[in-house]
Amino acid sequence: MAGVYTPPVQTLIDELGRLPGVGPKSAQRIAFHLLKIPAADVERLASAIHEAKERVRFCERCFNVAEATLCPICSDERRDGTILCVVEESRDIVALERTGEFRGRYHVLLGCMNPLEGIGPEHLKIRELVDRLKGEPVEEIVICTNPNTEGEVTAMYLARLLTPLGLRVTRLASGLPVGGDLEYADELTLGRAFEGRRAVES
Amino acid sequence: MKELYRDEAVVLRTYRLRESDRIVVLLTKEHGKVRAVAHGVRKTNSKFGGRLEPMSHVLVQLRRGRELDTVTQVESVDRLGPMLSSLDRTSQGMAAIEAVEQLALDREPTPQLFRSTVGVLRTIAERPSSMNVPAFYWKLLAAEGLSPMLDACVRCEESGDGVEIVAFDLDEGGVLCRNCRSGVSLSPAALSLLRAVLGGRLNEALAAPESPATHEVGLLATRAMEHHLERRLKTIALFERH
Ligand SMILES: [Zn+2]
Ligand SMILES: [Zn+2]
Repeated sequence: MAGVYTPPVQTLIDELGRLPGVGPKSAQRIAFHLLKIPAADVERLASAIHEAKERVRFCERCFNVAEATLCPICSDERRDGTILCVVEESRDIVALERTGEFRGRYHVLLGCMNPLEGIGPEHLKIRELVDRLKGEPVEEIVICTNPNTEGEVTAMYLARLLTPLGLRVTRLASGLPVGGDLEYADELTLGRAFEGRRAVES
Repeated sequence: MKELYRDEAVVLRTYRLRESDRIVVLLTKEHGKVRAVAHGVRKTNSKFGGRLEPMSHVLVQLRRGRELDTVTQVESVDRLGPMLSSLDRTSQGMAAIEAVEQLALDREPTPQLFRSTVGVLRTIAERPSSMNVPAFYWKLLAAEGLSPMLDACVRCEESGDGVEIVAFDLDEGGVLCRNCRSGVSLSPAALSLLRAVLGGRLNEALAAPESPATHEVGLLATRAMEHHLERRLKTIALFERH
């Protein structure tokens, strides 16, 4: 495929193709879309990327996206410092914050363990998590990694690492999606929802 | 209307594709290794739910495509829950399927490989013995026609009570006596475990409590498998380090 297009176009396609979830065909489609639309639109996109990259960085404490040394959650004194929620990515914090259920702080791993790809604990912000525990009054860690195999491996590894430190280590319960039908739930989800059952308040 | 087919399968690996889809690599019973797209599987309301995670043993319906097939239905055969109930089970299960993925051939049926894969996953779910994966690797290698010579020195062919077996050489494909030794050293306990695994006394080997000898056999099994595949096994390396 190399050399089919003039160098600037080919470079654009190559760069787009390096983005997550963008295959060669999509890269081509996006590239030609960008060439077709007004220059001002392209300018807006380019400056949005530039600005985000310049102004946004990772929080030094929890690795959430931040505009300062600390993210808004870490610098909020009203948050409960005794309970820490461990997530894979910053976008998981957004989802959890929308629930309004959690008043503690977070720690972002920036990924999850994937043994089949050779991605281990040293590729994640796990050492940084252990370091935080030395200086912060954390009593409970809630592991909120994704409910898939990689997320489970990460959760079990963290539990093995953190429980001996005398912390309460909990895992987000797996349950049934609200609005779904019981009969369509897979056995794993249904089994876990059963384990995590609770008393009905009346 | 493209051709639909049904088969029994073990999920060997998954790759993210676009927003919410995944490519799953399946070892099927009758169609060999198949790559297929599962649409919407990463959404929480997916009809596939948690049935297409690595190590899942399922019944699938697939629509044949040129390169990638498409998953249209999935039903569980064995529950995945036990495999994800401890780090030992998960790491053993992943180490097993990683080697299987390397050995399986695209669209070429290998019913024996399929049976052993289902078998080892069930064994791991039942009891996460530290010998599960080493024994599985040695059995896979034997099925590939690579049984190591264990009864006599592979170089001088001496055997019997007076011959002390002290080493194992992957290039030679067997054990060696003190005079001929090369490769890595091999303890008497590890030799007898190896003989149990490959000599029809598998249950005895699986019941062996974790010891320096089980570690020795494990390490040797990994090196032998890597030697055969000509690549490193990532899962084992990851859990050896931690
Ligand atoms: Zn922060
Ligand atoms: Zn010899």
